[in-house]
Amino acid sequence: MTASVELSTTFLLALTLLSLPLISAGVSFLTNEKFSWLAPITSSLFMLASFILSILLFLVSESEIGTALNFDWFTINGKLIKVGFLLDRHSLIMVLVVSLVSLLVHIFSIGYMAEDKNLVRYFGMLGFFTFAMLGLVMSSNLLALFFFWELVGFSSYRLIGHWHEKRAAASASTKAFLINKTGDLSFLIGLMMLWSASGNLDIITLSQISSPWLSVAGVCLFIGIMAKSAQFPLFNWLPDAMEGPTPVSALIHAATMVAAGVFLLIRIEPIFTTESLIFITVIGAITAVLGAIGALFQYDIKRILAYSTISQLGFMVMAIGTGATEGGYLHLLHHAFFKAGLFLGAGSIIHAMHQAQHHGINSIDVQDIRNLGGLRKKLPITFLGFVVCAAALAGLPLTSGFISKEMILSDMSIWAGSAFSWKWFILLAAWSVTVLTPLYIFRLVWFTFFDAPNTELQPQEVPVIMRIPVIALAIGSVTFLFASNSWSLTSLVGRLCSFAPHADSTITLVSISLIILSLIAGYFIYRKGQSHTLLNPQAYLDWSNTVVVKFTFLLSSVTAKLDTKWIDGFVHGVSYVGVTLAYVTGWSDRKLLDGLINGTASAAKGIGGLTRSIANGKIQSYLLWAMAGLIIFILWILY
Amino acid sequence: MYLLSLLIFIPIVAGLAVILIPSRYSGSFRVLSLAVCLIQSIILILIFTEYNSESGFQLIEKIPWISLDLGTWGVLKAEYFIALDGLSLPLVALSVGILLIATISSWTIDKNRKGYFILLLILNGAIIGSFCALDFLLFYVFFEFMLLPMYFLIGIWGGPKREYASIKFFLYTLLGSILILIVIVGLYLSVKTPDASDRVVHTFNVLHMQDAANLISGSALALDSTSLLGPYSFRLWAFLLLFIGFIIKLPAVPFHTWLPDAHVEAPTPVSVILAALLLKFGGYGLLRFAYPIFPDSAIYFSWLVGFVGLVSIIYGALNALSSKDLKRLIAYSSVSHMGFVLLGIASATVEGVTGAVYQMVSHGIISAMLFLIAGVLYDRTNDRLIENYSGLAVKMKSYTAFVLIAFFASMGLPGFAGFMGEVMIFFGAFQSQSMNGLLPTWMAITATLGLLLGAGYYLWTIQRMFYGTYAVRNSLTDLTDLNRREYLMLLPLALAALLFGILPQLLLNFINPFATEFVSTWFPFEKFINP
Repeated sequence: MTASVELSTTFLLALTLLSLPLISAGVSFLTNEKFSWLAPITSSLFMLASFILSILLFLVSESEIGTALNFDWFTINGKLIKVGFLLDRHSLIMVLVVSLVSLLVHIFSIGYMAEDKNLVRYFGMLGFFTFAMLGLVMSSNLLALFFFWELVGFSSYRLIGHWHEKRAAASASTKAFLINKTGDLSFLIGLMMLWSASGNLDIITLSQISSPWLSVAGVCLFIGIMAKSAQFPLFNWLPDAMEGPTPVSALIHAATMVAAGVFLLIRIEPIFTTESLIFITVIGAITAVLGAIGALFQYDIKRILAYSTISQLGFMVMAIGTGATEGGYLHLLHHAFFKAGLFLGAGSIIHAMHQAQHHGINSIDVQDIRNLGGLRKKLPITFLGFVVCAAALAGLPLTSGFISKEMILSDMSIWAGSAFSWKWFILLAAWSVTVLTPLYIFRLVWFTFFDAPNTELQPQEVPVIMRIPVIALAIGSVTFLFASNSWSLTSLVGRLCSFAPHADSTITLVSISLIILSLIAGYFIYRKGQSHTLLNPQAYLDWSNTVVVKFTFLLSSVTAKLDTKWIDGFVHGVSYVGVTLAYVTGWSDRKLLDGLINGTASAAKGIGGLTRSIANGKIQSYLLWAMAGLIIFILWILY
Repeated sequence: MYLLSLLIFIPIVAGLAVILIPSRYSGSFRVLSLAVCLIQSIILILIFTEYNSESGFQLIEKIPWISLDLGTWGVLKAEYFIALDGLSLPLVALSVGILLIATISSWTIDKNRKGYFILLLILNGAIIGSFCALDFLLFYVFFEFMLLPMYFLIGIWGGPKREYASIKFFLYTLLGSILILIVIVGLYLSVKTPDASDRVVHTFNVLHMQDAANLISGSALALDSTSLLGPYSFRLWAFLLLFIGFIIKLPAVPFHTWLPDAHVEAPTPVSVILAALLLKFGGYGLLRFAYPIFPDSAIYFSWLVGFVGLVSIIYGALNALSSKDLKRLIAYSSVSHMGFVLLGIASATVEGVTGAVYQMVSHGIISAMLFLIAGVLYDRTNDRLIENYSGLAVKMKSYTAFVLIAFFASMGLPGFAGFMGEVMIFFGAFQSQSMNGLLPTWMAITATLGLLLGAGYYLWTIQRMFYGTYAVRNSLTDLTDLNRREYLMLLPLALAALLFGILPQLLLNFINPFATEFVSTWFPFEKFINP
């Protein structure tokens, strides 16, 4: 491998940034079990270094923005495949977010996982995930990106199954990996098409490809994105993935991995044709609405958040499909903060409740919001952080969610146009999500923090090390960090990454009033703690998955039968016939041939008085040789 | 320097020497075998320093072997002709490495050590000889020489149903060899040496056979031969016979049922050799003999070749899914993965052929790991049934780590060699339609299902055997984790799988020139302007 690029500072910085989490994983894995308490500390320090480097990278590479730093990976069929870093504003900011959230999750995990027996493995995989995620974000080549894409799926599999002694966790991890793999196959097929069309998979040059396959290739890649970003109908793995440790859910299944699909969507935007964009928009809209409805009817605190993630991801995908790319990307960043905050908040609640349970004999499900309540007073800091993040999710003014949502809504209304068309239904979906989101998150907050407590448990506020990340993420979700004036929407992030946040003031007014109406409605619906029948879109998808799996198993039992009954049966039949034939010839040999020879012999004896010994043994072999000679002779003649 | 001959004959001579050592020194046999393998490794390093990846056949050794004047029938000529190129070098290197590990794995063999190590050493020489031979008769001799040791190694040192398994293995392989032999005879009669003497000199030289100019006009296998046998010409038949002969070895559906039986019954080291090396002769034979000698027939039957590959991929994976025995599952996964080799070859594109060779090497490394892993468990409990285990991850942490590496490497996780080979094969198979029109695109697309099924059976196995609470049916004590000898075998393989998964250029340096020349000589795109 020869370096075809000067080892510039930027390149070295990016390389170090990428390898730090990998080294962190290696150090963790090699830590002796006796010193497993060291793993959280070392890996958090590595992540801190990584975060600092990502800031440096952001500052340094401003002059080189949009350039790819490549070196040769391998050559096949004379075509050189390069790997390297594509550092543009999208990836640079994403790197910042990934390393920051990862750092906060590492810190949170020190407290949350303190009593876990497999710290070494947990922090090792966490580091490995961060490595894969950073690689995915920075890769300049689709094949390399796919490389990391699958590694991200692998680490997600390992982390969901961290408590693999629990059956549910084990099967959730398998399910997540298989559904992701389904998407990956489609992604791979998309890569085959692009390779066949151009023999070049560099992201920068994607826009130059012209091929009749382009539309199909785009849809294939998007199906890969659908699995990773939990889009309909491939989202049913995400709620189950909540079996993993909560910090993992925050990092992987809320902030980064599931967002990777949306990120990729923005990266490869040039290859999407009009037709594939329609497909993307429709899928996104269906997902956004289904996810929001799903969140409304769940009782498990983590599953509510998982459905909310599905809904928000659908919202982003829909936005990008309609061309509101900048809004979608901004929302992706904001979502990473507030959703990670919500998950870590939920983790704090679960942790506190578990700790309280340790002292009693109470064995209720602490993740069921019906069993929670009144936590506002017992966990005041967590409450504060959680509510701020919830407000950002609902899109209340003065929060980050508000800015990006307004951008998307106004862009979409321009896209939908004033004349009635199918686009209006998409717009309707977007508005319904805007209304449903405050409703379900209000329900969650109400049940958890305000409603009368349903248990005798006396939870205590969680340790400082777990409070810091939640508060940090909550701060990241309020608007004053991003905008000096949330009405004029001159955003700091906007200036930083040359976005121009914008919104139609009518739309802003309408959306704010809808959100407020929705919150009021929520208050009246939920204040008495009413429950609702379960309306669970996952059940239907699970059912269809079961059908596919059952069918595969049926098929495999058929092929197994085919092997043992038919193919082997045939072979056995042939050998049976062979052996029977051998018996027959053996019998004929003994009775007929030997008889003949014996007869000849006795005749010879009678005539010539030859000795007996020749007759029995040797003449037989003479005969054999004569036959062989004859066969060889015939063969010669034939040619 | 005769490096190649040394590589081939040191083990054979050592094997014969073992015969002279009395059985009471039984401890010395394995030490001697190990020494032979280490010497071979050193020779291999010397070979790598000699080898120049840019030019074709190298380290050529060519000595007249048989030369018979048959009067008006011309001259019969066979040579001791061995050499290495970008196809055989990676496979020879793989063989040396795997045989070393198999010898280490044989350390615990107790039953009749003398016989075992004699057979192992002869097998060693025969395998490497087969990969180096460029004279078809010489190849055939080495090829047959692998059969007998293998038969006895399974039949004497195998499991409870060893007789059945070994006879099945023997008969299947014999059938394959006979089909190949028929073609060898036919080719021998149809090919002459290129030197322009007035006498026709028949030759077994494979390089001469590969050049259509050397075909005797009017002979059965000549290009212009019009005689038909049933629906096909003799050339098509000859290709079919070679094809079937080699896919029995590969093995491809429907000639694969000997493999699961042989694997289940074979002792661990023999399974390792069988999976990692012997199966490779299927792909090697097609790339070295069937395709270059009969390129026209290969094009004619490419759809069939690709389809057999595709069926093997899916069918093997489905059967792996239904296997209850761990070794059987791994054996079927071999069928599935070797199907990819067939698919890559059938595409006759540079990517596909490169991928096929790459996949052979990576499957060699990974399947060796898989069978060693199954052996680790079998050594401890004498039980391979998946359902009898649960929660192994709790007690056997390092073992589980290696199982995860091997399983994920086998299912094509990026970072391991299997991913690279499969991606190249997919790229090649997919673009075949637009490049040469040999394979329809749906074949490559459908073949991806093999990856999904692969993830399915491996993850399901992990879930059943390694996750959950710890329980082992046939062991009263807790199972012990890996010992040092097992580390010594598994770690190098894991590192090799990782190395070739991250730095593919290491292997491609050798494979690329071969694949490029292979396609441009026998399957150039000009041939397919009007496919």
